Formats: sequence, structure tokens, C-alpha cells
Amino acid sequence: MTPTSSRSNAATLVLPVATAVVAIAIFIADTVTDVDIAYAVLYVVVVLMAARFLSARGVMLVAAGCLGLTVVSYLLTATTGRPFEGIVNTLISLGAILLTAVLAVQTQKATEALQKQASLLNETHDSIFVRDMNDMITYWNRGAQERYGWRAEEAIGKSSHELLRTIFPTPFDEIRSELLRAGRWEGELKHYRADGAEVIAASRWALQRDAREQPTAILETNNDITERKRREEDIERLNRELAKRAEGLDQQLAKRATELEATNKELESFAYSVSHDLRAPLRHTAGFAELLQRQASSSLDDKGRRYVQMILESSKRMGDLIDDLLGFSRIGRTETKESAVDLERLVAEVVAEVGRETKGRDIAWNIGPLPVCYGDRSMLKVVLMNLLSNAVKFTRVRKWAEIEIGCMNGREDQAELFIRDNGAGFDMQYVDKLFGVFQRLHLAEEFEGTGIGLATVQRIIHRHGGEIRAEGAVDQGAAFYFSLPRARAQERERGSTT
Amino acid sequence: MNNLGRILMVEDDPKDVELTLTALDEYHLANEVVVTRDGQEALDYLRRRGQYSNRSQENPAVILLDLKLPKVDGLEVLQQIKADEGLKMVPVIVLTSSHQEKDVMRSYRLGVNAYVVKPVDFHEFVNAVKELGAFWAVVNEPPPGSIRKG
Repeated sequence: MTPTSSRSNAATLVLPVATAVVAIAIFIADTVTDVDIAYAVLYVVVVLMAARFLSARGVMLVAAGCLGLTVVSYLLTATTGRPFEGIVNTLISLGAILLTAVLAVQTQKATEALQKQASLLNETHDSIFVRDMNDMITYWNRGAQERYGWRAEEAIGKSSHELLRTIFPTPFDEIRSELLRAGRWEGELKHYRADGAEVIAASRWALQRDAREQPTAILETNNDITERKRREEDIERLNRELAKRAEGLDQQLAKRATELEATNKELESFAYSVSHDLRAPLRHTAGFAELLQRQASSSLDDKGRRYVQMILESSKRMGDLIDDLLGFSRIGRTETKESAVDLERLVAEVVAEVGRETKGRDIAWNIGPLPVCYGDRSMLKVVLMNLLSNAVKFTRVRKWAEIEIGCMNGREDQAELFIRDNGAGFDMQYVDKLFGVFQRLHLAEEFEGTGIGLATVQRIIHRHGGEIRAEGAVDQGAAFYFSLPRARAQERERGSTT
Repeated sequence: MNNLGRILMVEDDPKDVELTLTALDEYHLANEVVVTRDGQEALDYLRRRGQYSNRSQENPAVILLDLKLPKVDGLEVLQQIKADEGLKMVPVIVLTSSHQEKDVMRSYRLGVNAYVVKPVDFHEFVNAVKELGAFWAVVNEPPPGSIRKG
């Protein structure tokens, strides 16, 4: 047994012993004195004392005992004095004891109910306290003790706002007048615990009024939202950081765009330089070599004449390369001017142009029905020029050349076109190289070319949102399949002349 | 072949000058070609200033103008010619290496009479110069006040 429990055991014994002593004293006094003095009324004290430590049943038993003792005293003293007064006194005493017992039991029950309710308030995790109209704490539940670190004995009787160093979101006077007007108030408060830590509380105040509608007390319930608040602040901070970073990215993007623009300008002036500055010396080389060939031809031997011929051929090739490269770079730089383009007409136009250089050759052109597409007419012409002159070029080895142009059933919004020939073809192994700049699959002696044509074609098709692919086999011809957006009805109407 | 007008050539590159003269010579377009080497000199010639203050009053029958020139560039020369009451009727042909759309557009906006890109190929170049010379200096009737060989 611990010292604490033994002390409490001793304390619990004091009241019953005292009650018994008082009961015996009353009984002795009642018995030895005259009946006309109602000592038995004093038994109510015994009943009240018993009510402090006994249950309702015990109290009633004690009351019954007291009644018994009263009757015994009366019987012992009834022989002396006045019997009538003795009976009346005894009956009054009996009535008083009985009434007291009933009232004591009722009070005890009410108290028990109150205690039960109060202990329920203790069970909740919310911190609940009651303060009077001067903000002095009158009740302090266990939740409040846990939350704030002050025990009820420490808190009760102190000003709640001073104890918790409350920081209000709005001036206190406003809160108070709101509370008095509406009977309740809700808001966020900042409190400090006994150990100095900060607590953010979602606080609800309820005003209690007495029967005359006078405010008597305030019930304050506080929910700890410190964690939630911290998380919210974290989220807010992260959002701010994110926004800041996004802004940084925006700035970076804008800077990149400016840089890109500058680069484009540089590229443009470079292209200008190429077209102007490189072309001039090339023209001179070709020009003077030509003059040499004409005027000094007789004084040159065969070797010398061959050398001059080489110079002329190479300068021509370089001229072609520069032109093609400029054309290729122009596709990326110039804006497309899109309209409905009747491919049937465009193909006829290109075939006529390409055909001019096919004199003496036997070429069968099989041109199927072609759709109206939507795109930049001059760029699409470059596509057809390249693909058809390729077809003409690579069928040169055939006695009977066949070039087919047609349209397959593609998607509703995209036309699938093809250009097929029975020419020299290519090895599918190298199909990936076909569309690269300066990539060639044939020797210059076999087929001339700069290796930029198909790269240009692909670039144009891509700019139109289409795809291009090639199929072929060595000596069995080649086929190019490409897609282009179809013109919708209204575009066709608008661009019917192109 | 004696009814030929004078050609003013504005060209800074001596090799281009020689090739052009050779081409013109080869086709016996025996015009008197005056060569000025930059835009300023061309304007001096046309306005009879500086070293050209003593030349006779007539305008050339045609001007062959390069675009990329030292001091005053070709487009500026073109603009000044077309803004000058006494010169604006003289046919101006831009003869240049540049086939930049931007240059072509600006030249036509300024009122150029023809725009010819110098071909890299010498045959084509000679043909182009010959046709130009034949058309503008021989076939075309120049405005009054131009030099004509009697």
C-alpha cells in the first residue's frame, strides 16, 4: 500500500466516524433530557453528513436508524413530563428527519448527474473552459489541461486571455459586442501554452444567460488547428514558390524567344551573305574559266582543257548547292500562305514544266484523280517539282518509263498521295538516309543532284502537318507516300481559283 | 549598230565589271559604258558633281545597278534616282547576286524597271547581259534628253 492511498483511506474514515459520534451524542442528549426539548431534530445533521459519503440507499438507512433512535428516546423519556408535547416534538423530529433524507437523496442524485455531465466534458479532446463575464476562468476541462499545460487548479480564477496570452484576429471589443449581440462567436485565435509554444485554435464561444436574460458566463471551446494551419501555410508557401518559379520560367522562355529571334535574324543575314557574297566569287571563277576555255583553248593541252572543264563543273555544282540550301532554309523561315490547292491542276502544271526536259524520252504519266488540299501553293509546288523531277531522273535508265501519281483512300481530313516510278529505285536498308540533308544514295556520275531535294520535301510536308515515307528496291523503282490536309468545303470555295 | 545609247554601270567588284564588259563586248554592243564604283560616285555622275561636273548634260540610256555597294548602297541610289525629277525617267535595272525576296520587293516598290539576278553560269550570265544591253540600250526608246549616238 502506498502512502498516498493510506492517507486517503484515513481521510475517508473521518466523516463516517464523526457522523456516528454526532448521532450517539444526539441520542444521549435526547434521552437524558426532557421530552419537551426536541433534540431529535438535530438528527437532520447526521442525515446530511451521511449524504456526503453514502449512496441514496445508505442515506435512507441512516435516516431510518435516526427515526428508530428518536422513537427509542421518546419511549425512554415518555414516562416523565408532558406526554402530549413529547409526542408532538417526536413527530416533528421524525418528519424533519424524513424530509431531510428525501431532499438529501434528491440533491445527491442531481449532483451525480451534474458530475456525470462534467466528466463527459472531460472526455472530449477539445479544450473547453468556462469564464465569467470578467473573463475569469471558472471551469477548465481535461482537454484544456492537455492542450495548454495548465492544470484546472492553476487555471481557475485567472483571466483566460492573460493566462493564454490570446492574440485576437480582430479587436477584442468587436468580438465581445458580436458575442453579446448574437450569443456566439467563431474565429481563429492564437494562444500560448504553459511551455511557451504557440497554438492556433479554431475557437467557438457561446454566451450563457440566466433566467432574466443577463449574461452570466462564456463557454469557450478550442480546437487545435496548428498542424492544419502549418500545412496550409506550407501549401501556400509552395504555391508561391511554384508561381515564382513559373514566372522565372516565363522570363526564361521570353529570353529564349528573344534569343531565338536574334538567331533567326543572324541566320537570315547569313543566308543573305551566302546568296550574295559566296555567289559572286563563284560566278567569277566560272566566268573566267569559261573565258579561259574560249580564248586560250588552243594553247592548252588536253590535260589543261580537262582541268578547266573540272573547274566549270565544280563551280556549277557549288552554285546548285548554294541555291538548294537557300531554298531549304527559306522553307523554315517564310510564313506559309495557305489556301485550297487543286492538286490536279498543280500536278498538270508541274508535269508540263518537268516534261520540257524529257524530250526524246518515252514516259507514260498515269495521273489518277487528285483531291483539293489545303496548303501553301508555292511550297506544294516545290514538293511536286522535286518528287516528279526525281521520278523523271531515276527512270532515265528505262527505255519505257512509267510514273504514277495518285491518291489513296486516306482519312477524312487527310489525303494520302503517292508518286511511284519504275526507275533505279533504292536499297530499303538506307531508307532513313533518304530525307537527310546532303544524303545521297547514288553516285554523282549516275544521277546528278545536291541531296537537298527530299530534305526540302519532307520539311514542307511536315510544315503542313503531314507525313512522308518511301518504299523501294534496287532497280525496281521507288514510291513516295505523303499526306496533306484536305481542304474543307468553305476553304475550297474561297480558294477555288488557286 | 550606231544608234546606241550610253550605259551607266554601278558595280564595285572589278571582276564583275570585267565579266560584264566582256559579255557586252562579245556581242558587239559597243556602247560607251561608264563604270562607277560606288553609290556616291554614281549619284555624282548622274548629277554632274565632283569629278563629273564637266560631263555633257545628257542622261544615260540605262543604268545597270548593283545593290551591295560601298558608301551609298544600291537601294538608296535607286530611291534617289526615282525621287529626282531630272532622273526618274531613266530606266534602272538592278543587276545583283541577291535573289532575296526582300530585295526584290523593295526594288520594285522604289520603281525599278527590271530586276535581274546575275546567273552563276557564265553562258547564262553573258546571255542575260546581252539581252539587257540589246533591249534597254538598243531596242528600247529612251526618254528625251538621253545620250544617243548619232
